[in-house]
Amino acid sequence: MSQAAHTLELDEHLKEVVQALHRAVSYAMPHTGEPEVAGKAIEDCKEILATIMEGNVSEWIKN
Amino acid sequence: MFTDKVELKDFEKMDPEYQDLLKRVLTIQADCEIGGPHLYVDTMLPTAPTKVDQLVVARTAAEEIDHFRKIARIAGDIGTDVSFVLSTPNQKRYVEAFRGKITTWEDYAVFGMMIDRIGHYQLDEFVGCSYAPLERILPDIIKEEAGHIDFGTTKTAELAAKDEETKRKVQKVLDYWYVKALDMFGHSGSKRSERYRYWGLKRRTNAEARRQYMEEVKPIILGMGLELPDPNKGRLYM
Repeated sequence: MSQAAHTLELDEHLKEVVQALHRAVSYAMPHTGEPEVAGKAIEDCKEILATIMEGNVSEWIKN
Repeated sequence: MFTDKVELKDFEKMDPEYQDLLKRVLTIQADCEIGGPHLYVDTMLPTAPTKVDQLVVARTAAEEIDHFRKIARIAGDIGTDVSFVLSTPNQKRYVEAFRGKITTWEDYAVFGMMIDRIGHYQLDEFVGCSYAPLERILPDIIKEEAGHIDFGTTKTAELAAKDEETKRKVQKVLDYWYVKALDMFGHSGSKRSERYRYWGLKRRTNAEARRQYMEEVKPIILGMGLELPDPNKGRLYM
């Protein structure tokens, strides 16, 4: 059975996305009392998630 | 009943019905995993009540994306590309519960309590399943879904206890999601469900799983001082 095209690339890309989100959340959680720190992490998460919600897989794989 | 364990190397030799059913269930599971974040990320990440809540929304979305990734990898390995669900409009989701938008914190909390719990039930169906690669990815996914359910349940309880107006809002969204949840188990007499069970891709009948879910959530809902919604009102799949 042949693997579907771009299976590995998509897997790798999403793994990196998930790791980036977790890094941002883990860094910010102890600093929720510091608006600038927590606010920046939340903005970073918004940006990352907005790209995922667009679902433009061909752009992700291309990069 | 089929009781063998199937590895990736065995898949192409399997009965075409098995192949089709596995591809179908993986596609639907992938759609549901990414369907959740599509319901709430753009509305709730900016507006969740506290910074901690916002970060929990982001972490929950990250975990659902990771669940999608793992399911997509298994599907891709058997030649099924499920990446199209990443750009499916909400209204086109396989499961009716994901065809909408979550716009309030009450909605988000009850969704976690009720619908992530269905996710847990679905994943539980795969425990001990015949397709070994799917069985192997379950432990972390189930643990993370349990975290989503806990958060939703805790927040729902807090909201229900806050004041009468908030409790009314919680009851209203509960009435909505309770029926959506029961419908997610499908038709009680589903022939396809029986074929999933024959091939070891599902453990319980739709009716039995729904019954267990109703038994599980009843004391939780009543314990929060909320009313148990009418299980038949607005149902699509009995």
